[in-house]
Amino acid sequence: MKTGTPASGIRFSISSVLPWLLLVALIFLPSAGLGTNLIRLFFLTLVWIVTSVAWNLVGGFAGQVSFGFAVFYGVGAYTGALLMNQGVSPYAAMAGAAAMASIASLIVGAPTFRLRGPYFVIATIGVNEAVRVLMSNLAITGGASGLRLREHGPYRQVEHYYTALGAAAIAIAISAVIARSRFGLALRAIRQDEDAAADVGVNAYVCKLYVHAIAAALTGMAGAIFARYAAYINPQGVFAFNTSISILLMPVIGGIGTIWGPVLGGVVFGAIEEQLVANFPNIHLLLYGGLLMLIVLVEPDGLVGLFHRIVRRRGSDSRSKGIDKVLWGRSRLEGREL
Amino acid sequence: MMTAADFLNLLIAALMLAGIYGAMSVGMTVIYGVMKIVNLAHAGFMMMGAYFAYELFQRFNIDPLFGAFLALPVFFLFGMAIHWLLVRRLPKSDQPTLSSLLLMFGFWLVLQNVAYLTWGNTDMSILTPHTLSVINLGPITISTLRLVVFAAAVVSMAILQLILNRSWFGKSVRALIQNPYAAQITGVDDQKISRMAFGLGTAFAGFAGALLSMLYSFNPDFGRPFLVRSFVIIVLGGLESVPGVAFGALVLAVVETFSILAVPAGYQPAISFALLVVVLLLFPRGLAGLMQKKWRAA
Repeated sequence: MKTGTPASGIRFSISSVLPWLLLVALIFLPSAGLGTNLIRLFFLTLVWIVTSVAWNLVGGFAGQVSFGFAVFYGVGAYTGALLMNQGVSPYAAMAGAAAMASIASLIVGAPTFRLRGPYFVIATIGVNEAVRVLMSNLAITGGASGLRLREHGPYRQVEHYYTALGAAAIAIAISAVIARSRFGLALRAIRQDEDAAADVGVNAYVCKLYVHAIAAALTGMAGAIFARYAAYINPQGVFAFNTSISILLMPVIGGIGTIWGPVLGGVVFGAIEEQLVANFPNIHLLLYGGLLMLIVLVEPDGLVGLFHRIVRRRGSDSRSKGIDKVLWGRSRLEGREL
Repeated sequence: MMTAADFLNLLIAALMLAGIYGAMSVGMTVIYGVMKIVNLAHAGFMMMGAYFAYELFQRFNIDPLFGAFLALPVFFLFGMAIHWLLVRRLPKSDQPTLSSLLLMFGFWLVLQNVAYLTWGNTDMSILTPHTLSVINLGPITISTLRLVVFAAAVVSMAILQLILNRSWFGKSVRALIQNPYAAQITGVDDQKISRMAFGLGTAFAGFAGALLSMLYSFNPDFGRPFLVRSFVIIVLGGLESVPGVAFGALVLAVVETFSILAVPAGYQPAISFALLVVVLLLFPRGLAGLMQKKWRAA
């Protein structure tokens, strides 16, 4: 690797320019004369990417695996929908949705972040079930029969697309900033060893609440964007456990704890969701489950890990193992004190 | 106003419920204890157990109670196969890992999908001549079926406890639970015992699912509400002992049953979760943390 310095210098600059190129390409995409169906696919994928990146902040960076992100998605969707029905402008409604989802995240997080590891995971499943039950019974949400949006003005698909693109850009930017910040470092410390993190002065509980609130705000915003597009939401849809699964699955596919892994996962998931599931609706759980098991057993670092493994074939997969050790709990060697 | 008879009826209902809850949670405890895997596929195994009983009843007219006991060996083998096929490939750990969680979760999704493809998504139930029969003891009414299910659950748990206490397999299991490294040094075959423990846990999940099929209607999503409950129970019970599970099941059943007096039925699913959070906040080591020493000594 001695001769690799200039090459890695070039690679660094490529990897810093690539996101901007991608953004520009996506901005000019609608003017390329794509069909409405393709734009719709891009729109949905972008919304998924927002949630995926948001989940990764909590599940990847901080290592707190949550099965309950549908709660924030749903809260955002309902808040956005209710505000828009009151005549609030869509973007203000999205901000309101983000704020409401943050508040919900504090209510959920305050007790559950006292729990660790599997306790936290199971608690989030419980939260998801409890909230869905609650929402199906409340009057303000229209109960189980759902809620219809009454937005005035013409329907412009491109506007929805740009909204989602902006949200995805914001989410990725936040993710990148956090990854490079002291806060991100604290989250990594929490993921690796919460007690050790506390020993060096990280307030794990507060850090987890913060990052949870940020992630919930992004997820809530995505929910509102989706609600505005779909114009109809119901508790069995946005609060469904399946929504939580989808949000969790994307970062896992792409590679959790990385900046671009969740994005990649979102793209792959969007394609799977739209193409495979649309064509084979009765085996979508089989697809998701099989994919999940395959990733866990074959490449726990997801597509990003696979990429690293291919790129660094010569140096075996030492980096991949390192990520494996950090992310997937104690590795084969660690944890064997004897 | 609650009369003494009402109170007694509720108490008996709680006890019956506790029996079922116990049977459905012991499997999870065994697997968690030996392998430190939170088996999210537990709900899937329960669902399969329910359909197993259903198929036996429909095709061969075998009583679901008998079907439940037939489920034990079948699901034992099924669980061993799953362990051989999937679980043993997980990285070893003495703590629950994300990979184990996601693997079992993925498998649960696959099981659900297989069930959807096989049986469709309509709710099914098993109706036998004694489904609605009751025993009347003065003002107290007991559903015969619930009593039978309760008895089956208690008997099976007692047998499990006997196996864990008396047999060589049980001793190995307990050794692995207490100290996996020391157990392996003394010659316990970790892989073999894990495989059998996974089989045992699966067997009890299938058994409990078959028992539940006599009381509730079921569909491929059957078991999710019970998954959170099972986890609450094993947390309450200290995660790794049969008496602990019995205790946790009793606590949850009593709380759920008597909460009917205060909480609208629509919000019932939230109770087990609330109990979990409250208990973990008040007693971070679970209720059993308080009593663990007692049991260890016993």
